[in-house]
Amino acid sequence: MNVTAAPSAPSVLRRRRQRTRNELVVDVVVVVAVLAVLVIGLTTDRFVTVANAKAIVTSASLVGIAALGLTLIMIGGSAVSLAISPTVAAVGMVFLSAQSLGLVPALAMAIVFGALITGVQGAVVGYAAANPVVLTIAASFAIAGLAAGITGGVSVSPSGLGYDRLNATPGGVPLSVFVLLLLTLAVEWTLRRTGFGRSLYLVGENRPAAQAAGLPVGRTTTVAWLGAGALFAVTAAFTAAFNTSANVNLGGTLTFDAIAAVLAGGTPISGGRGSALRTLAGAVLIAAVSDILLLRGYSTGVQVLVKGLIVLLVVIVVHVLARGRHA
Amino acid sequence: MKRLPRADPEVLLPVTALGVTVIAFLLIPTYTDSTVATFDVYNTLQIFARLGPLALALGLTMIAGEFDLSVVGTYALGGMLTVQVGQEHFAYGVLAAVGAGAAIGLVQGCVIAGLRIPSMPVTLATYIALLGLTSALSGGLTKTYSNVTVILWVDQTVLTFFSPRSLITLGLFVLVALVLGLSRWGRELRAIGADRRASRVAGVRVDRLLVGTFVTSGVLAGLGGSLLSLSLGSANPDPGVQPLILAAAAALLGGVSLAGGRGSPLGLLAGILAVALLAEIATLAALPAYVTQLFYAGLLGIIVVVDAPDLHKGLVRLRTRLRPEPGSPRPIPESRETP
Repeated sequence: MNVTAAPSAPSVLRRRRQRTRNELVVDVVVVVAVLAVLVIGLTTDRFVTVANAKAIVTSASLVGIAALGLTLIMIGGSAVSLAISPTVAAVGMVFLSAQSLGLVPALAMAIVFGALITGVQGAVVGYAAANPVVLTIAASFAIAGLAAGITGGVSVSPSGLGYDRLNATPGGVPLSVFVLLLLTLAVEWTLRRTGFGRSLYLVGENRPAAQAAGLPVGRTTTVAWLGAGALFAVTAAFTAAFNTSANVNLGGTLTFDAIAAVLAGGTPISGGRGSALRTLAGAVLIAAVSDILLLRGYSTGVQVLVKGLIVLLVVIVVHVLARGRHA
Repeated sequence: MKRLPRADPEVLLPVTALGVTVIAFLLIPTYTDSTVATFDVYNTLQIFARLGPLALALGLTMIAGEFDLSVVGTYALGGMLTVQVGQEHFAYGVLAAVGAGAAIGLVQGCVIAGLRIPSMPVTLATYIALLGLTSALSGGLTKTYSNVTVILWVDQTVLTFFSPRSLITLGLFVLVALVLGLSRWGRELRAIGADRRASRVAGVRVDRLLVGTFVTSGVLAGLGGSLLSLSLGSANPDPGVQPLILAAAAALLGGVSLAGGRGSPLGLLAGILAVALLAEIATLAALPAYVTQLFYAGLLGIIVVVDAPDLHKGLVRLRTRLRPEPGSPRPIPESRETP
């Protein structure tokens, strides 16, 4: 709180060392978790097959791209968006109904639409400091309501065939996997190497301080949400292309999956830390866990239950480690 | 910022909300084909009974400066347990629901208070896990309850306007209002919501109170789900977000702030009655489902934006910039919440 009392140099050094050590511990925890999952996987029937590996990376890619978007939101300190599923459903509808214009214009329209509906929420969170959780609950209801009202509850069918190119599998691996890797690198670069990325971390770490330092808090937050919306839209395009039709339920459990992926990667919900690479690890972890549970014959309910418990565990571990830094 | 110290939103908001909705309800004949019948009052109270425990649970945690997202998960689990455990005798089902709610609240409260973790991520994780658990218990299917006597009993008309269900819900409010009003817990609850650190220094047993609040919240949510299942004669593994939206809107209309430290059980009662009246008006006006949905979303959205802390600061800044008053003190930045 007290800005004038600058901490002495040794304490800063110590804190920095502690910080890197804690970050390291989080990384180790995530790696151990991935290894544990691999070991359980190796003892599961049909886990170590090429087809299954493809299934895991495919499901990780769809969740992962949306989770990258959520990573931007979470690093910026605006917790989570609970409107991911309906956003993906609505964008998927726009994407498929715009197919008659061709793939690229439809994709562009989808991305702009996704960025806009998410960016508006971001602007309210950024400029007015509205509670993001409650706001996005309201937004999810509004988006689902609008989508249901406009479509009359009927599935939207594609108006062209261009979307099918998103289902391509170059080298036997789905296109979405390459896109996920590419986008992970792009987001990571943006976070580490651009002014926007640095401001985002600062805004997330301490909003009042960022405001006092004259950082454009509102604009930074809005841009983060715009980027998140664009990334949700990419997931939406791939999901819609895969399902070849879009209805209100297109998003499925994506909201929870994306939250689980980001948090399982060790990004704290309070903001200021986290990275795209961690989210990538989290997405693979969650996808692998779901896959193992599916192969072992557990129901969707059990899969969701385990995801929830993993998130709970990671939240507690990350918080306890981070507290050592603040204490 | 407050020019009229007594006209604080804590009282103003619920009174206005309830007043406006009551007037809108009484004026129903002027803008729809239907007239106001005693059944409509009964039905409003039925909506109140469905929403009340959930909104009270959420509202209490919000007064304490937390946000219990898991209430909807506990609500779903409570309903499912009531149907599955209570086939023999309804009391076993209700006990199971209440017990599960208390256990969930206890675990969450201990984690949140003991490790000083913000409640949002913890309750979000619990919410996901509980939805999964409920779905796993039922195999993802809606389960029906066969004890018709109980189903008929909870919804029978009592004293023209009430049903045992709405009377139980009203009783819960009276109980919570009495406990918070007569003991020091009421003041302490608001104190830990307003300034956690100061109340700790002042001798409030913050951790115990937080655990108690989360246990109460879990019990209320479990009981709410239980009552709903007994009334519907079935339990749905995924209640969706509508209960959460309505409960949050009701709590915020009831004068509770998302920042914590503000609100009272009676304010909550008024807020929930206002939302129940709105829901009944929407039913009577025969609005399409999606219009109602948009309406609730819009309502909650507006309340959240009005409640947003930086909006006021921004408006104050704008006002001072428009007409600069020499020597006027600069707006004091609000102290950061210290969880």
